[in-house]
Parts: sequence; C-alpha cells; structure tokens
Amino acid sequence: MGRVRTIARRSFLVGSAAILGGVAFGTYLYKREVENPLEADLAPGAATFNPFVKIDGEAVTLITPRADVGQGAYSIQAHLIAEELDVDLDSVRIEPGPPSPAYYNGVVAAECMPIAATSDSFMARTGRGASDVVGKLIGLQLTGGSSTVPDMYERLRVAGAVARETLIAAAAKQTGLPASELRTEQGAVLLPDETRLAYTDLAAVAAEITPVDEVTLRDPPDWRHLGKPHMRTDMMAKSTGTQTYGIDMTMDGMVFATTRTNPALGGGIVGFDASEAEAMRGIKAVLPISGGIAVVADNTWRAFQAAQAVACDWVPTPYIGETEKQFEEVAGSFTEDRQDSRFKDEGDVLAALDAAEDVLEAEYRIPYLAHAPLEPMSAMVKLAEDRLDIWTGTQIPRFMQMSAAEIAGLDKEQVHIHVLVSGGSFGRRLEDDYVRQAVEIAVQMPDTPIKMVWSREEDMTHDFPRPLAIARARGAVSDGAVQAFDLSIAAPSVTASSLARLGQPAIGPDVAIVAGAWDQPFQIPNYRVTGYRVPPMVPVSSWRSVGASGNGFLHESFMDELCHAAGVDPLEERLRLCWHDSSRKVLEAVGEMSDWGSDPGPGRGRGIAFTLAFGVPTAQVCEVTQTEDGIRIDKVYVAAEVGRVLDPVNFEAQLAGGVIWGLGHAMNCEITYEGGVAQQDNYHAYEGLRLHQTPQIEVRGLENGDQIRGIGEPGVPPAAPALGNAIFAATGTRIRALPFSRQVDFA
Amino acid sequence: MRPVLFALLIAGTPLAAQNVSREEGLAAWERIYAVASHPRCTNCHVGAQEEPMWEGLSYGRGTAHGIGVKADESRIGAESMPCRTCHVTAAGRETPAHAPAQIDDAWRLPPVELDWLGESSAALCAQLRDPERNDGHEITDLVDHLTSSPFVAWGFAPGGGRSTPPGSPVEMARDVALWGGAGAPCK
Amino acid sequence: MNLTVNGKQHEVDVEDDMPLLWVLRDELGITGPKYGCGIAQCGACTVHVDGIAVRSCQLAAADVDGEITTIEGLGTPDALHAVQAAWVEHQVAQCGYCQSGQIMQAASFLDLNPEPTDDQIDAAMSGNLCRCGTYPRIRAAVKTAASRLQGV
Repeated sequence: MGRVRTIARRSFLVGSAAILGGVAFGTYLYKREVENPLEADLAPGAATFNPFVKIDGEAVTLITPRADVGQGAYSIQAHLIAEELDVDLDSVRIEPGPPSPAYYNGVVAAECMPIAATSDSFMARTGRGASDVVGKLIGLQLTGGSSTVPDMYERLRVAGAVARETLIAAAAKQTGLPASELRTEQGAVLLPDETRLAYTDLAAVAAEITPVDEVTLRDPPDWRHLGKPHMRTDMMAKSTGTQTYGIDMTMDGMVFATTRTNPALGGGIVGFDASEAEAMRGIKAVLPISGGIAVVADNTWRAFQAAQAVACDWVPTPYIGETEKQFEEVAGSFTEDRQDSRFKDEGDVLAALDAAEDVLEAEYRIPYLAHAPLEPMSAMVKLAEDRLDIWTGTQIPRFMQMSAAEIAGLDKEQVHIHVLVSGGSFGRRLEDDYVRQAVEIAVQMPDTPIKMVWSREEDMTHDFPRPLAIARARGAVSDGAVQAFDLSIAAPSVTASSLARLGQPAIGPDVAIVAGAWDQPFQIPNYRVTGYRVPPMVPVSSWRSVGASGNGFLHESFMDELCHAAGVDPLEERLRLCWHDSSRKVLEAVGEMSDWGSDPGPGRGRGIAFTLAFGVPTAQVCEVTQTEDGIRIDKVYVAAEVGRVLDPVNFEAQLAGGVIWGLGHAMNCEITYEGGVAQQDNYHAYEGLRLHQTPQIEVRGLENGDQIRGIGEPGVPPAAPALGNAIFAATGTRIRALPFSRQVDFA
Repeated sequence: MRPVLFALLIAGTPLAAQNVSREEGLAAWERIYAVASHPRCTNCHVGAQEEPMWEGLSYGRGTAHGIGVKADESRIGAESMPCRTCHVTAAGRETPAHAPAQIDDAWRLPPVELDWLGESSAALCAQLRDPERNDGHEITDLVDHLTSSPFVAWGFAPGGGRSTPPGSPVEMARDVALWGGAGAPCK
Repeated sequence: MNLTVNGKQHEVDVEDDMPLLWVLRDELGITGPKYGCGIAQCGACTVHVDGIAVRSCQLAAADVDGEITTIEGLGTPDALHAVQAAWVEHQVAQCGYCQSGQIMQAASFLDLNPEPTDDQIDAAMSGNLCRCGTYPRIRAAVKTAASRLQGV
C-alpha cells in the first residue's frame, strides 16, 4: 500500500526542506512566501494557484521551468502536473515560465557537497536540506545535475493537486454542490449527473477563491500518466521541422550577427581593421565586443564571411596554452599543498601497500572535451529604451537575466528572458557568454532585433571544456581479493571555474574532482580516494555527468586491473565488495542480461563497469570483437536504479543516449590546445559516435530504491571503462589514456 | 587521330617526333607511378574496397573516408548514401580542408579493376597497359582522360591545403604519351 | 536567380556562392534545414534536390539544378511522410536539432533503396551526426518506414 501524504500548501511552497526538518538553516526564510511570478501578468478572469498552473477562459497552461535541452524535461514536468490536475497534454499549453526565484532548484546544490548518495545519516539529510535552502536563498533556477525529476517529483504533483482541488472548490461554489460529490477528468470538473464543467470555464470563479492548501497525492498504483509510456510533447514538431530553436527565431526588421573572439582563450583583442569586411556585401556594421568583434549583416553567411575578413590584433592567452604543458601542470599537482579532498579513507591504505608483496601501480589520463551541441550558440535579442528581450535556450535564466541587465544598464526586472528549446546542451548552456555578446551588440544597435549565431568553429574554439585529469592509482591484492585501493585524482576545479563566472563563491573542496570515485559503494579493507586541485588553466565547466564523466573511467579501469591481478572475476569481485543493495542489483542485472561468465567466443571480450553518480547506481557490460578493421563494439547492456521509472520510453532514450555519449567521446574525442587555441574546431576532428559504430544497447530500469532520481547523466560514466575493460578482455591490451582511438582502431 | 595526339603531346619536348627509347619510357613510368600511387589518386582508386580513403587530409595514415560511407556496387553510393549528397556537382568551387571536394562531374569511384591502393609499380604498370584490366583504355584513352577529366584536374589542384601529387595534368599526360610511345614498358 | 522550394517559386538575389542553406534560412525564412557545421560533417542541413538528399551547406545557390524539397515540404503534422510517421512512432528525437536532416536523408535513401539491408541503413545514415545519441531509434524508425513504404 502506498502512503497517503497530506501536504500543507506552505510546506509545498517552501519545498521539501521544511519536511526534512532543516530548520537550523535560516528559519526566517521559511516564513516568507515565494512570489508567484504568474500573478504579474494575470488577465482578468484568469486564475493561478501556484507558480506552475495558470488557467484562463481559453486554456490551461502548465509551467515547466526546467529547460528542455533534449532530455525531455518539458514532457516529464508536464506529466507530473497533469497526473494530479487531470488534463490531457495535447489540450493544454506548456510554457517554460519566466525567470523567477519561485523556480529555484532545491536539490542540485547537494551535488556540490560531499554527501554519498548511499548515506542516510543525519549529516547527509541535513546537507540535502541545506541544498534546498541554498537553492531557495539564491533563487537558483538551474537545470542540471540530473535534478529535474528528483526536484520536481513532489512539487509539481502538489501543484497539480492544489489546482485541481481549487477548481473543485470553485465548481462547488458555482453549483452549490458539496465538493465531495465532484470529481475531475480530462480538464473538467464532473458533477454527479456527469455534467462537465471545463476548467477554463471555472477560471473566473477559481480566481476569486483562496487556493486549497491541503491536498492528498495519488498513490502510484492509481497513476494514469506516470510510470507508463508517454508520447513526448515535442515529437511531432521535432519530426516535421516545426520546432523553433533559438537559431530559428525570426522577427520583423531583424538583422543577422555573428561574433569572432580571440581563439587563444582569454587573450582579448587590442585592435582590429574592419575596412575590408565593411566593404563586403550586406555588412551593416563591425562592432567591438569583449575579446573580439561582432559583424552585423543581412544574412548569417555574409556575417560569417566578413568576420573572417576582419584583421584582428589578438593578445596571447594568459593560460598555459599547450596541452603537453597542461598535462605537466596536472602531473605536478599531486602535492600536499594542492590536496583538495580525501573524502574516502578507510582502513590503512599505506600500511596495506607497505605490507603487500606486489603493489600494482597505474597512471591514467583523460583529455579536455567539448560539449559541441549541434545547435551552435545563438540568441535573439532586442533592446528598447526600458526593456531588453532575449530569446534563447538556457539552463540558467536568472543568472542570464542579471548579467544581461548589467551589460545593458537596466534593472533585472526590465530583462525578459524567453526560454526556447535547445538543440542540445550537455552542460554548454549553463554558461551565458553567448548572450552577453548578443547584448553587447544590442547596446550598440538598440531598437533592432538581432539574431546572433556562432559559426561551428567559433563554438568549438570557445567552449568551456570538461577538464583534463590524471589519476595515479596503487593497489594490492591477496588471496584472490582486492585488499587495497588508493586512487589519487588531479584535475582543475569545474565548480570554482563555473561559479566564478556566475558571480558565486566556491567554498571548500570541489567534490567534482572526485565525484563518481570517492563515493562508490564498495567495502575494500583499505580504500582511499584523494583529490588534488590543479590551479586554474583554461576555464572549464560542467559536461554531461560532470566529474563522474571521467572519474568513472579512472575508478573502474583500476578496479578491473586489480580484479585481473587477483585472478577473480570482475563482476563477482564487485558483488563481493558491494555493500549497497540496489547497487548490487544493477550489477546482477547486467550480469544476467549479458550472460556474464559464458564464453564470448573467439576474438571477443566483455568488460564490466559500475558507477554510482547522481544517486543512480548504473552498471554496464560492453561486448567487443577484434576484427581486421579494428575493435567492433557489438553490444552494451546497461541497468540503472532510479527509484521509479516515470516514463519507460524516455528512460530508455536517455540511458542509451548516455551510453552513446560516453562511448563516442571515449573512443574518438579530445580537445587539445596550441597557444591556447583549441585544435579541434569542427566535427571532422571531434566526431563523437556515428551510427555505423553504434552498438546494440539493451536497457533495464530497476525500481528498488527509495529515492526518485534523474537519468540524463548516469548512463555516461560507466561507458568508457566498460569499453576499456572489454578491449582488455578481447586483446590483452590495457588502455589507460583516452581517447582510445589513439591506441586502437575501431571498426 | 591518335598518332596526332601523341605527337601534339610530345611536341615541344626534346623527344618530339622521335622514337621514344625504352629507357625514356621507363623514366616516364617512374614519374607516372609517383602520381598514381599518391594518396590524391589512391584515395579513390581503391579497388573492390567499399570505403574510399582520406590519406593526406591530416587524419593520419591509413585512414578510411570518414562518416562510414560505402561506395557500394554502384560505386556512387546509390544503395546507401550517394557521393553527391556531399560532393555536389559544381564547377570551380574550392572548398576548405575537411569540407567535401566539389568538381564539375558526378563524384564516383573509378571502376573496381583500377585498383591502385597499395599496388606496386610493376603491378600498376601491367594493369595500365592492359585494356582488359584497365576499363578498356588504350594508352591514348589514358592521355585523353588525363587532359579532360575534372577528377584529374582537381587532383592536381585540390585546394584547401590538401596534399597534391607531383607535376600537373599536362606533364602527366606527356609522360603517359612518352611511356606509350616507348611501347608502355614495365620493369 | 530562381529557386523552386517545396513547389513554390522564389526569386532571390544572392551571391553565386552563397550556400543554399543560408538562402533557405535567411533569405526565404525556411528554417527546417539546420546549420550545424557548414562542412558536410553533420547533415543537419540536408534537403532534397530532385528527390536526392543533398547537404545544403555545400550546394552553392548558382549550382542548384533542380527542385528543392525541405523537411517542411516532405510532410506536415497533418500529413506526415511515412518516414516522419515512423520517427514520431519510435519517438526518435531528443533535442531534435539533427532530425530534420536525418529524416530527409532517410526519405531519399528509402526512395532509392526501398529494401535496404542493415549495413546499408548504417552506411546511409552515418553521415548524419546526432549528439544526443538517438541512433538505435533511427535504425528502428528507418526499418519501420521501409516496411510502411513497401505496404507491408
């Protein structure tokens, strides 16, 4: 039997922290109601019951504030509201809503805290509560960290239920019938005689009454939407070319712009000669912007051509500009004064290694990686005297609003962000650099709608990459068991680099340096994970699965090496070491799916890897064949535990997509620098995975956990080590540096 | 017609209107082979192999054409992705490195029997002088091909920083004419 | 110059070497074809010229020698092409930015090769990059569309 929960409206508005009892952190804030931004533009006769539902005489509008960058966030948010509100999604409007503190993210900050997802201690619960407080305190409206579902699972269902119950109350008031005799169905309140009162017809009455403040959420067995296959709301538009991305916006009188900034990152510009460019057809202006120039034209292609014709006087990069030297800096960072964290330190690793007959040592390297979403950075902006409008895809609308306001010399309330669907992001749209540029252009060209689009080359050479890292691992085995595991990881801090650009402080150790490594649910007698922080080099940022994206490879490759050294089966040994029940179950699942232990056949090999990231235990088995043309990846089996699968169709898409993302970059991608200039400036040099190299992927979602989790990122971290371990199994070659294609060919 | 063409081609060289010696023919062949074995030619003269090559494009040695293309039996990718999906027929469009080459002809691979990739000088020589094995070309047809094919013209001037074989289409044609004049000798 | 796009004639005044993609997007306001790379590496700009898939970022305006069809002309939400219907049915799209190109590539491919093998599907679709990783569903949707088009 599911539990019935009665949730007070006040608790709902302040989020789950109140329920968790984190009152030690700034009680006063809990008392203040968060504003409902929908009240600002409410038409007469329209009703809004909370920041997520608005109804007028025309339509029911659901607000889905987490950005859709391809992961299906709009659909799942709408389904969460609809489950309680009783509406069909094809008959409602779905809007991302404005920037507002009401849309703060209450769980993502916990990703920056050293709290193991497997921990239910008082400190862990308090830390998670603090995440909610921090999120609310700064109005952290941010999409990322696979947090949309965990953050919104309760909030949006409560929002839907509050709206439903208020509509019932409105119908009761209008008809004089007792509310207990009314029910709801498909956008209407049903009277006992089956008469339907459409929500839209009840809006005016509902607007006059105080929203209901106590609701009961439906038990999962009674769900009609959640847990069942959904048709995502964007499929038709995205299959017919009618989805409007930021790059597709058109407005009367708009001009087309592009920018060109110093390819040597951070270098800036001292001057430029635009005479040739200005004489080119269709060029309206060549303007200075921070770090480079902008070209405004009557056609994007003409702007691209002219931007290349501007002679720019660049300044050299202030950063270490050569990848070889960047790795030297990382290699030199395993020092006491650069030690950043040691969140895992169990047993006595040093004594165990001293006592060991053989110490296995290995060094691993992972490269910088670009996000390179297929839609290049782009934005439409229009600056009027007292208002700035921005249309673009973004995961950080409130930060963007603040930085745009500052550049335009406006109050942030005068900056209107219209969030559009993004053509991919993978973390890239957690930055607002592209919009800052567009606003800089607008300031010099007010009253003109400006569509700014980057060339692919500009996009790839001005990314904030996933940082490079080196890991040094030492371990010991005896009696057919892993006895000591000592992993040291040195990397620049993503968190410090990103937060500095958002004007936020980064305090304490950076969990991202060791995420996906320090918090793994294995009970090794002597087990230590140490993070070393490399001083800032080229600015870095979050990249799908963030720290775990590379740390999964570092941890799980070495785990595989130790298992082989111990002469034990890598799956059996992980199961023996794993104390966390739902993690064991994903390992057992991929074992069963792949028929682990059976003979893979000649020239073939299987590799297994496991990473617990974003609270999701994920295991993968990769099967490869050594062919004349190189390694062929035949099949990947992946199982993940998310507590509850809300949409099995999109769950499969996200998990398989994560595997493909992880494989493609591990096989084929790196960003290297010369003079601070990224050497891979288009997809010919940064292919990711293409269809012909894509294996079959079999997905299984487990629902044993007690916490609901997001699935956009967890598929990524185990993909690379599962492949590396499979290559070792098939060929006997251990590859310790990515990308794999530097050392093997792929068929 | 053909002797006239030979004469025209060799005209202006010290060998004009002379009988070409075997030695001179073999020397011409060496120059021909230097071109024919160059990646700019062997990238497409791949024989039965389904994938064209991307040698000499900074992708590293032994690299097959990217994006998983297959020439198929049609040799124009008609069964999967036609070459012309990217190699759009166009005259005089120099494309940047890593963008597909554009020429004024339908992009396609040479016939399977004209397999040059990795072939020795002797094997190539024997192939080229044998119409049974070179798609029915007499030596003079080869000269014709060299002077009229947009593929050959592009191969010597591909632009975009792509590597080029030694010489020019005209020099190559003269060498083939010389080689033919000497009776197409092979070592 | 004159271009016929989705059955409609357009007079455009552009440089001979302006890529068709930018004529469509910025001169004619037809935004289904997407800009992704500009060098035929991604396929997001794919359109048909007389039914054959072509990367519109590579085709110069002056070299267009046939009728152009974009995703908007292939089918509409009210009248889907079989390939689009298969794409919806399989819920292929994630971010969706590459899918106009994927669909145009698949439609042309199945027109030329109505009964493709699995390897031919792979070869036909590998020129279209998808960063989200929708490839397994692309494979499945192409197969579904092939059998639909065959009337199976």
